[in-house]
Amino acid sequence: MSEFLHLGLREKFISAARKSNILARECKNCKSIMLETTIYCPKCQGDKFNLVEYMGIGKVNTFTIHTVPPEGFDDVESYAWVVFTLDEVPLRVSGFLPGIKFPSELPIGSKVQVIGFDERHGLLLHKL
Amino acid sequence: MNKVCVLGAGSTNYGKLKEDIIEIALTASVEAIKSAGISPKDIGAGYISNVFGIADKQVHMAPVIMSNLGISHVPGLTIESACGSGSVMFREAYANVAAGFYDCVLAVGVEKVTHTGTAQSTTLFSYCSDFFYEGGNGASFPGLFASIARYYMTKYKADEEDLAYVAVKNHDNGLLNPKAHMRKRITIQDVINSPVVASPLKLLDCCPFSDGASAVILCNEEFAKKSNRPYIEVIGSGRGGSPASVQGREDISTIPSTVIAAKQAYKMAGITPEDVDFAEVHDCFTIAEIIDVEDLGFFPKGKAAKEIREGATSRKGRIPINPSGGLKSKGHPIGATGIGQVAEVYDQLTGKAGERTINDAKIALTHNFGATGASAAVHLFKKVE
Repeated sequence: MSEFLHLGLREKFISAARKSNILARECKNCKSIMLETTIYCPKCQGDKFNLVEYMGIGKVNTFTIHTVPPEGFDDVESYAWVVFTLDEVPLRVSGFLPGIKFPSELPIGSKVQVIGFDERHGLLLHKL
Repeated sequence: MNKVCVLGAGSTNYGKLKEDIIEIALTASVEAIKSAGISPKDIGAGYISNVFGIADKQVHMAPVIMSNLGISHVPGLTIESACGSGSVMFREAYANVAAGFYDCVLAVGVEKVTHTGTAQSTTLFSYCSDFFYEGGNGASFPGLFASIARYYMTKYKADEEDLAYVAVKNHDNGLLNPKAHMRKRITIQDVINSPVVASPLKLLDCCPFSDGASAVILCNEEFAKKSNRPYIEVIGSGRGGSPASVQGREDISTIPSTVIAAKQAYKMAGITPEDVDFAEVHDCFTIAEIIDVEDLGFFPKGKAAKEIREGATSRKGRIPINPSGGLKSKGHPIGATGIGQVAEVYDQLTGKAGERTINDAKIALTHNFGATGASAAVHLFKKVE
């Protein structure tokens, strides 16, 4: 993980996402898993962590498809904003999944994968 | 702590207003001052809630409002907590009077956004999210609540018609509120057939973007008694927090900040949810009201949709919810909403609510949150005979 040492918290998260991974922290004290952008452990307030990269693959918990998107997302014909739980650990992440037009295309439990981080659209997902 | 009372209240109409943001705030402030029968010189401090003042070219609003009221020497404070700004500001005003710093204060919430248009307003509101994970990934506010709705509907087998019942009930209430933004009767089919904004939420599941201001006068009990005016007493105050992002919540069908704030307020007042006669709750989207009334303890988790269908939250139901019309019909000028709820409770408990009066009400609750419930405040009020 020495490749991340020179980066800020969010830059580290983005750098991992560009490798299709989610960078997380494991609390050395209570072993809780949280996103890399969290500084103190929500469970025990510990501040010593192991950095862990998980495969950015998980199952959809919930999502929406915008008809009225915020500015900066109106260049995409249709997309879903998705909350999913990683397969490897019970950690939720949310991201941008282009190409989804109708709810029937993304049943709850569908598999999605992180495929990068886009300057305009954030954490990019792909439906498996 | 001193007992704290609400001695007067005022509101502009909610909707699309042509006046600038300071004029709107002053209109509500003057109405509250007159309602309380006080003079601006009685005001020890001013508390202002606002989110998007920059959209109308005015931040640092408190001194501008104080100066226009002819009391430029009076300290003011502007507070932002997204859509929950009003109730968070009310809590600070309450705490300062309770602590004895001031005998009497002005609390005014204001917002003006409609001139920016739907696209820019949608974008501005998305800045209230945990932007790195939400707005930055394409989530609008309707989108965030739509994702909460889908989670709730999947977990509890609720459907889009369940959501529509909330909208229809609040629009019925709003018809009786002359200051409401959306005074229009709607049907279940109107909601179901309205355009999708962010699935599963339709246009009529969403509150409107509104301009408007509401103001109240808070004071200690001695000040209130000397006024010989009608007043109500604040008997409970609670605040809570939740993970800022939807993804950070263990259970997306509940809003932890509401649960925490409600427990604090009930404990302080020494009452239970069964003692509350009516409530003004944060129904920015229909799903929010369903979740709110469960988190506030009025119904068990997963049961509110059925109760709402059967009329339990209508004006003559077991626990009337949003007799003002709520955010859904009365409107949602986000900096003003939390104070507007207090103004409604003041009107209700002092006999000024006209046709929408909840008969024999003695105890009322207000509930207002910021963003998707990342912050929340709950207050309880008692009628003073």
